[in-house]
Amino acid sequence: MLKVEAIDVHYGIIPAVRELSLSVEKGQISTLIGANGAGKTTTLKAIMGTLLPKKGRVWYKGEDVTTVPADRRVGMGFALVPEGRQIFSKLTVKENLGLGAYHRNDREGIRKDQEWIYGLFPVLQERESQLAGTLSGGEQQMLALGRGLMSHPEFLMLDEPSLGLAPIVVEDIYKVIQEINRSGITILLVEQNINMAMKISNYAYVMETGKIRAEGAADEVMKGENIMKAYLGE
Amino acid sequence: MPDIKAIFSKVDKRLLAGALIGLLFLCLWAAKAGLSKYVIFIISLIGVYIVAAESLNLTNGYTGLFSLGHAGFMAIGAYTSTLLTFPVKGRDLFVIAKLPVFLGGPEAAWPFLPALIMGGIFAAVVAAIVGLPVLRLRGHYLSVASLGLMVLITALAMNLRDLTRGSIGINSIPTYTNVWWAYIAAVITVYVVWRIVNSSFGRAMKAIREDETAARVQGINPLKYKLLAFTVGAFFAGIAGGLYAHLSGAIRPYAFSFNLTFQIVIMVVIGGQGTIAGPVVGVVILTILRYVLKPLEEALGIYGLVELIYALLLIVTMLRKPEGLAGKRVGDRKVALLR
Amino acid sequence: MISSEYLIQQIFNGIVFGAMYALLALGMTVIYGILRLIHFAHGALITVGAFSFYLFFMVLGLPFPAAIVLIIALGALMGLVLDVVAYKKAVGGPEVAMLITSLGFYIFIENLMKLIVSPQPYAFHAPEFLDRIYSMPVLTFRTIDIFIIATSVGIMVFFTLFVKRTKMGVAMRATAESGEAARMVGINISRVISISFIIASAIAAITGFMWGAKYGQISYNMGFMAGVKAFVAIVIGGVGSIPGAMLGGFMLGILEMFSVAFLPPGYAAYRDGIVFFILILILIVKPSGILGQKEVE
Repeated sequence: MLKVEAIDVHYGIIPAVRELSLSVEKGQISTLIGANGAGKTTTLKAIMGTLLPKKGRVWYKGEDVTTVPADRRVGMGFALVPEGRQIFSKLTVKENLGLGAYHRNDREGIRKDQEWIYGLFPVLQERESQLAGTLSGGEQQMLALGRGLMSHPEFLMLDEPSLGLAPIVVEDIYKVIQEINRSGITILLVEQNINMAMKISNYAYVMETGKIRAEGAADEVMKGENIMKAYLGE
Repeated sequence: MPDIKAIFSKVDKRLLAGALIGLLFLCLWAAKAGLSKYVIFIISLIGVYIVAAESLNLTNGYTGLFSLGHAGFMAIGAYTSTLLTFPVKGRDLFVIAKLPVFLGGPEAAWPFLPALIMGGIFAAVVAAIVGLPVLRLRGHYLSVASLGLMVLITALAMNLRDLTRGSIGINSIPTYTNVWWAYIAAVITVYVVWRIVNSSFGRAMKAIREDETAARVQGINPLKYKLLAFTVGAFFAGIAGGLYAHLSGAIRPYAFSFNLTFQIVIMVVIGGQGTIAGPVVGVVILTILRYVLKPLEEALGIYGLVELIYALLLIVTMLRKPEGLAGKRVGDRKVALLR
Repeated sequence: MISSEYLIQQIFNGIVFGAMYALLALGMTVIYGILRLIHFAHGALITVGAFSFYLFFMVLGLPFPAAIVLIIALGALMGLVLDVVAYKKAVGGPEVAMLITSLGFYIFIENLMKLIVSPQPYAFHAPEFLDRIYSMPVLTFRTIDIFIIATSVGIMVFFTLFVKRTKMGVAMRATAESGEAARMVGINISRVISISFIIASAIAAITGFMWGAKYGQISYNMGFMAGVKAFVAIVIGGVGSIPGAMLGGFMLGILEMFSVAFLPPGYAAYRDGIVFFILILILIVKPSGILGQKEVE
């Protein structure tokens, strides 16, 4: 469904990602793992369209979307739940979720999705009118996830969803991620918390200093732990 | 055909600089001997503006701030040096305050150079006082605060009538400034800025300009360097102000208004921020342009034509060649995807 | 001895001027919030608004409502032009570049006005129904004062409803918080910016009319100080906060009136200087202003 072909992404003058290629099959969960600074977030941003690759292409459902601006990609079915949540803290929970559906016009579909998300995350409904900035870390992650889902994506990217969250909360989040995938949404996951990510993934890529060092079926990559340890320097 | 560039890079830079300066003063001597007083006046003015522009370049161009208060510092320098050097006899005539005892007493008038330097120091002190709280904050605050400072200084100049004679201004200032003073000051200013820029200070400033957060991570304390750039810039602005006062022989609060700041900002931007040669180029071109257009302005009765053209040039520069005439494009700044 | 009548009169004047500052601050803070840009050229729109009203109403003799509608439309159009010509290219680049361009445009427009209309101020006659004087025991005011306060409050209420209840309004608030996150939810930032410019500039244009009517005279450089003081108002009220901008505007108006009123005569020229003195004071004591949060660098 998504194919990234040898992209180079620069952050200012610094090359953050070099000759990176990956692909995600429809309906699957793929994970991108690597240490801090490996370039994972940059890669997601290039796929999302908030960064422009200097070289290479991004293909989505057979279409070249490399130069399509981010806001148009949302309409095509992309969604990114960014690192650090990046929710709109001065807006209410309801407004945040509403913005997720910004590009949509189908009232009925939006209402249904809203219900579904409240079903996944009841606490969001409780705190509907609260300012998003007053939520706890875990709740903000749920909000960010919910906002991403409100755009009714076909391809969802998650950047370190477990960052800064208590283990119990992480488990809940991952249960939800699996449920989202079961409902038909393709997922590309970026994580430092390898264990959880690998458990639910089909395919994995290992990144280091801007390049992909290893890839394969998730359980295979897990087994090649020595390789991973070497690359991730644990 | 000899490879000029290769020869150029081999020649000892200092020798080259010395030769150029020598050539400059030779030209000035010839000019002084041969050209009319009016043209000599303009040439001297260019020298004074170079002092002002090059010093603004330190703050705006190299450190990436956007100070709009330069005219205010020039005002401080102008009034300070004027009040110090004004001949005693004239003070009675023109109702200008006599010097207090700790500055030499009522029968004293300072010589030119110390008065100039005092003007610069005073300006620098004011810059430091205002800069300390303001430079901590985001760049925009400096823009508006420095603008405000200039307005405040102008307001003071207009109201402290016992000291400054208010909006009438001070006339008959001894015209100590000539081409020599102007250009020695200009050369010194360029040299000082060049030294600072090519030192560890300069590297820190450029790092701050590129990416303040990254600079902080490297252990650079932005406040210290911004303050330095701001204060040194103000010092030379004060000197420029003093030079100007003793060149034109008269100063009024309105002379140091936003228009003046704008002129200097434009000279720096069009010439090329962040380069040593840039401000010089900007000053020369824009001053010549002004005096070439002046008769046209008067003939057509279109006042403000020069400012209009200046503004147009600024806009065109910012939209087409933001690094200025002498500047180099600094990499591809486009990070985000834009429409 | 300061009589209570004098005090009340001064406070009232302060509120009238404050209302105008608040409107200007509102427009400016919207743009600042989204672009992190001090839109110096905003001041130019005040001048253009005032002079166009002069043209439409006094020279061409159009009826008052038509003139008002025209200047609002003209302001909106100018805002859009500025957006497209001046800022679109600079977005994403160094912030200083936008500041410089903004300044350049202000100077250009100001000097163009100087050329077109003349360096001398024009007498500005508001329509007769706005000029009636009402003398009450405690207060003397003209209908224009009521017009200014009513219009300002009306615009502010309307605007607040807009950003709270409409899709575009919420999008604007979101973009002001984080442009990147806004794009990730599918918001077209370019359009948000354009709409911000249109709204802010239209407001500035009508404020220009009110300014001219209140002062009784207009000049080619009337917009500059007003525009910069609007930014001071934003700082007082708190950068990044829309209610803060409005509050700051009113406070600035009152503070300015007070200082002018209570200073010994002959010091009136200090008026502008005092405003900036207040600014520097606030930057030292509480840079985030009254309602603002700490600005993330």
